[in-house]
Amino acid sequence: MINYLSVMFAITIVYLAVTDRFVVYARLLGLQGFILFGITLAELHKASIGDLIFISSETFFFKGLVVPYMINVIVKNTRVEKVNTEALSGFYELLLIIISLFISIFMAYTLKNPYVDTVFLTIAFFTMFSGLIIIVTHRLIISHLIGFLVLENAAFLFSIAVGSEMPMMINIGTLLDIFVGVLILGFFGMKIKPNIDQLTQLKD
Amino acid sequence: MILNLFFIISALLGFSIFFSKSKTLTKIIVIFFGILHISFTVYTWTRIGITDLIYFTYDNLAVLFLSILSIIVTAVIYHGFIYVSKDALRKYNIYHSSLILLVTCMTGAYLSNNLAALWIFAEATTLAVAGLIYHDRTTVSLEATWKYVFLSSVGITLAFIGILFISMMMNGTPYNDLSFASISEVAVNAKPLYLKIAFLFIFVGFGTKMEIFPMHTIGIDANAVAPSPIGALISSGLVNMGFITLLRVYGALSGSDIFEWMNKILIIVGLLSLLTAAGYMLKAKHLKRMFAYSTLENMGLVAIALGVGGNGYYAAILLLILHSFIKSSLFIQMNQLYRVQGTLWLDNSGRYLKTFPAGALVLIIGAVSIMAFPPSGLFLTEMMIFKALVLNGNWFVLISAAFLLCCIIYATTIRVMHVVFSPPREKPDFVADEKVSPYETVSQYIFLTIIIVLCFYQPPFLKGMIEQTVKILFN
Repeated sequence: MINYLSVMFAITIVYLAVTDRFVVYARLLGLQGFILFGITLAELHKASIGDLIFISSETFFFKGLVVPYMINVIVKNTRVEKVNTEALSGFYELLLIIISLFISIFMAYTLKNPYVDTVFLTIAFFTMFSGLIIIVTHRLIISHLIGFLVLENAAFLFSIAVGSEMPMMINIGTLLDIFVGVLILGFFGMKIKPNIDQLTQLKD
Repeated sequence: MILNLFFIISALLGFSIFFSKSKTLTKIIVIFFGILHISFTVYTWTRIGITDLIYFTYDNLAVLFLSILSIIVTAVIYHGFIYVSKDALRKYNIYHSSLILLVTCMTGAYLSNNLAALWIFAEATTLAVAGLIYHDRTTVSLEATWKYVFLSSVGITLAFIGILFISMMMNGTPYNDLSFASISEVAVNAKPLYLKIAFLFIFVGFGTKMEIFPMHTIGIDANAVAPSPIGALISSGLVNMGFITLLRVYGALSGSDIFEWMNKILIIVGLLSLLTAAGYMLKAKHLKRMFAYSTLENMGLVAIALGVGGNGYYAAILLLILHSFIKSSLFIQMNQLYRVQGTLWLDNSGRYLKTFPAGALVLIIGAVSIMAFPPSGLFLTEMMIFKALVLNGNWFVLISAAFLLCCIIYATTIRVMHVVFSPPREKPDFVADEKVSPYETVSQYIFLTIIIVLCFYQPPFLKGMIEQTVKILFN
C-alpha cells in the first residue's frame, strides 16, 4: 500500500513539472496532501493517538484542502492563470526532474540504513530537488510559492522516513508547514501582485 | 524558574502592546522590557554552566553574546523611539511588539542547548523580522520582506532536513534528544556521508541568518530596507544567532571524520563571501547596502577563521563581538545621515562633515574600524586570522583574502570620504533640513570606544570566556 502511495506521489511531481496552469498546480498539491494523509495513516500506526490525529489532520485539512483553496483564491484575485512564458519550457524542466529522480535513487541507496525506509528517502529527495528546480526555473511569485510548498512536502516525507523513531520531529515539521504556509500564502500571496517586475527594485 | 518568567513576561509585554492606547504607555512597556532583558542577562552571569528547563544552558558563549545583545538592544530601543516617533499608533505598536518578539526569540536561540529548540526559535525570528522590515509599508519594503520571508523559509526548511539527517544518524543509539552533547557523542561513530549532508543542509539553512554566502542576499536587502535601528539589530544580534548555531553544530561534529572536510567547506565559503562582498561593494551606489555587504565580508572572515582553526577560533568569536558594536553604530548612524541629507544614495550625498560634524566623525571612525585599521580591535582579529593562515601554510587563501580585503578597503574609503568631504555629484531634487541633535550620537561613540579599547586591552574575563568556549566546543 505504502509503495503504491509513494509511486503516486512521485507521479504527481512529474506532472507538476510539465503542467503550466496554476489551477492544475493547486489540484496536484491537494492530491499530494491526500496521498501524504494516506502515507501518515499507513506508516505511523505505532505513533500515539494524539500524534496521529495531529499529523493526519494537518495533512488532510491543511495540505489537502486549505493549501489548494488558498492557491485558487490567489489565482482568482490576481488573474494569473499560467506560468510566465519566459520560464523554462516544460520539456527541459521534465528533463531536469527526471535527472533529479536518478540522483535521488542513487543518494537514497548510498545512504541505506536499517532504520530509514529507502523508498521514502528516494521520494523525499526527489520531491526536494523538484521543489528547488521549480523555485529556480520559474519567474512568477506564485510559481515560487508552489515550489516552496513542494519543498515543504519533501521535509514532511523526510520526517516520516525517520518518524517512527522520533515522532517529535514530525510534529515540528507539521508546525513548520502550518506556520510558514499560512504566513506566505495568507499574507504575501494575497498582498503581492504577480507581476514580477514589481519586485525588482532592490538591486545594486 | 527565572527563565520561564523571562519568556512569559516578555511574551505578555509583546502582546500587551497591541492593546496600548497611547505611545507613552507603549514606551513604558518597551523600556520595562529593556530593563527586564538587562536584568535577565545579569542573572545569567551568576548561572554560568547551569542547564535550565532541559533545553537551555547558560554557557560562556551564550552569556557573552547575550550581554552584547542586551547592550545593543538598549541603543536600538532608544533610537527606535526616534525613528518611529512620527508614526501612527498602530504602526508604532506593531514595531515595538515585533522588536520584543525578536529579542526574546534571539535570547532563546542563544541559550538553546538543543538543535530542535534552537531551530524553533530561529524560525520564530523570521516572523518578527518580517514585521519589522515591512515597517515603512513601501513597495521596496514589501519586496525586501517577501524575499526575506521566502528565502528564510526555504533556509529553515533546508535546515530542518539537515536536522532530520542528524536524527537518522541517532536512530539505534541511546541518544535521541538532539542536544548538542548527544550529537557530539553520536557523530564520532556516525557514517561520514550522513554527517556531510546534515552539515551542508544546516550550514546553508542557517546561513540565511548569519548572512553568509550563498544565502546572503536576503540579509543585504533586509539591512538596506529595514528601519536603521532594526538594521543594527539584524546585522549584530541576528547574525550572531546564525553564527552561534553554526559554531555549535560545527563544534558538535568536530570530533567526527568530517572535521577536515568541514574546514575546507568553511574556507571555500569564506572566500566566496569575500569575493561577493568585494565585487558588490566596488559597484555599490547606496551607502547602507555597502555596509550590508560589509557584514558579508566579515562573516566570510569568520568562516575562514573557523576553517583555519587554532587561534582562528578565538579570532572568530572576538571578530563577531567587535563587528556587532561597529555595525550597530554604523547602521544607527545611517538613520541620522538620512535625516540630515534626505538620502543614502551616494550620488546625492556629500559634505556631511559640514552639515552634521558629530555624525560625520562617527562615520569616519566606524569606517576605519570596520576596515580593521588600528586602533580598531578588528585589526587584532584579522592579524590573528592571517597569522593562523601563515602557520597552516594556506598561502592561496591568505593572498586571495588580502587582495579582496584591499578591494573592500578601497571601495569603503572612497565612498565614505565622498559622503563626508565632497559635494554631491548630482543635485538632489529634495531639501532635507531636519536637525539632528549631536547627543543622539552618544551611543555610537560608546560602541566605537569599546572597539578601540578592545584593541589595546581585552579584559581577563572576556579572554577567559572565549577560551573556555573554544575549549568546551572543540574538546
